[in-house]
Amino acid sequence: MRSVLRATEVRKGFGHGVWPFRRRVEVLRGADLHVCAGELVGLVGENGSGKSTLMEILVGLLARDGGDVERPNRLGYCPQLPMLWEKLTVAEHFALFARAYGMDDDTRDRAALGLLDELQFGRYRDYRVEDLSGGTRQKLNLALALMHEPELLLLDEPYAGFDWETYLRFWEMSEHRRDAGMGILIVSHFLTERGRLDRVYTLADGRTAET
Amino acid sequence: MSAFATVGGSFVREHLRAPLTLALLVVIPVFFVLIFASVLGEFADALGGTLAGGAATSAISAGWAAAFLCGALAFFQVSSSRGADRRLAAAGLGAARVALARIAAAVALGVVVSAVAFVTLWARNGIAHPWHSAAAILAFALIYVGVGALVGALVSGQLEGSLLVVLVFAVDAFSGPSMTSSGGILAHGPTRDAAKLLIAAGTGQSSSGGEWGAVAAAVTAALAVAFGAFWLAARSRSG
Repeated sequence: MRSVLRATEVRKGFGHGVWPFRRRVEVLRGADLHVCAGELVGLVGENGSGKSTLMEILVGLLARDGGDVERPNRLGYCPQLPMLWEKLTVAEHFALFARAYGMDDDTRDRAALGLLDELQFGRYRDYRVEDLSGGTRQKLNLALALMHEPELLLLDEPYAGFDWETYLRFWEMSEHRRDAGMGILIVSHFLTERGRLDRVYTLADGRTAET
Repeated sequence: MSAFATVGGSFVREHLRAPLTLALLVVIPVFFVLIFASVLGEFADALGGTLAGGAATSAISAGWAAAFLCGALAFFQVSSSRGADRRLAAAGLGAARVALARIAAAVALGVVVSAVAFVTLWARNGIAHPWHSAAAILAFALIYVGVGALVGALVSGQLEGSLLVVLVFAVDAFSGPSMTSSGGILAHGPTRDAAKLLIAAGTGQSSSGGEWGAVAAAVTAALAVAFGAFWLAARSRSG
């Protein structure tokens, strides 16, 4: 299968405290993983193990200290905490990200309508983010990552705040996209989800292991 | 509509949808021109400065109103949208285009703020050189776009950052030209040349080409700093 993401020996550390008490914590000490087209891969690990740090490095939001990352330009990223503008509406978020993804207006409208329908939050289209519930914000957060049908989808606990029905729909959507050839890497916490994943990486002590 | 217009327009709307911001756009210029002006004149008098009362203090207070509002707005443009801007940049727009859209939004807001301050000044005193005054008030606003954005890019905490913007503003305002007998604490504060221009315009005097050039240079430098700050906030973090 064609690889859509390959991370090799990724290292990252953070400085904490004020000089002369400043110390450095190495979060990633050589993490490796790869995702192929048409694969749904999990990334698990304890709280603070560095899963979100690794995700931000893979997306390009955070610079790495060492190692290599090969990924396509056309990727979608759903951060753990929604990164949205409080005063803008759902429709305006779609418009902004459509510009970033280089989509024309027709394609944008089709994609937005499809996702509003699929995730069942169409009635909030003209609501500002500040007026949305946590679960609806998370639906928008996820929809923005999906709207351009990327080759690679990186999801960092994307279902936080979803009700049970939406949670199940999320997995249906992910499996459907995986079957259509999208490579998906998802940060997951629950052992019950392992059956839905093609492969799982565990992140511990700054290193990944396929389990 | 181009990507630039879509993104810049959204960034402007983001601020204009805050009712308190809209109210402050009117209240702060009125407060500065009617009340802060007399306080500034009394301070100058106490410090041995030569800042004349009436027209000069009202004129420069309109400039300070525009500076204060634009500094605060630019700071919050960076600090409250850092995560979303970085996500948009990483999604394909790029940090430079996000920064340009932020600059465009900040300049548009600066024009609105300056217009409100100018109208307040005109209603209060009348203005001897209206075009000179309008240009100088806008210069105050744009210089503080640079100050606010720079603080926003360097200080992540909203409380600490907003306090720092206020501190820079206070030092700059009270060390301006004609404020003290020694010529002020700061010989080269960011708005010093714009302040000279505004005092002159307020008192019906003209300014030389060199003085206009110095203000243009300060505004250009401030917008360059603002671009760098917005770019820094939208690009990948190193830690």
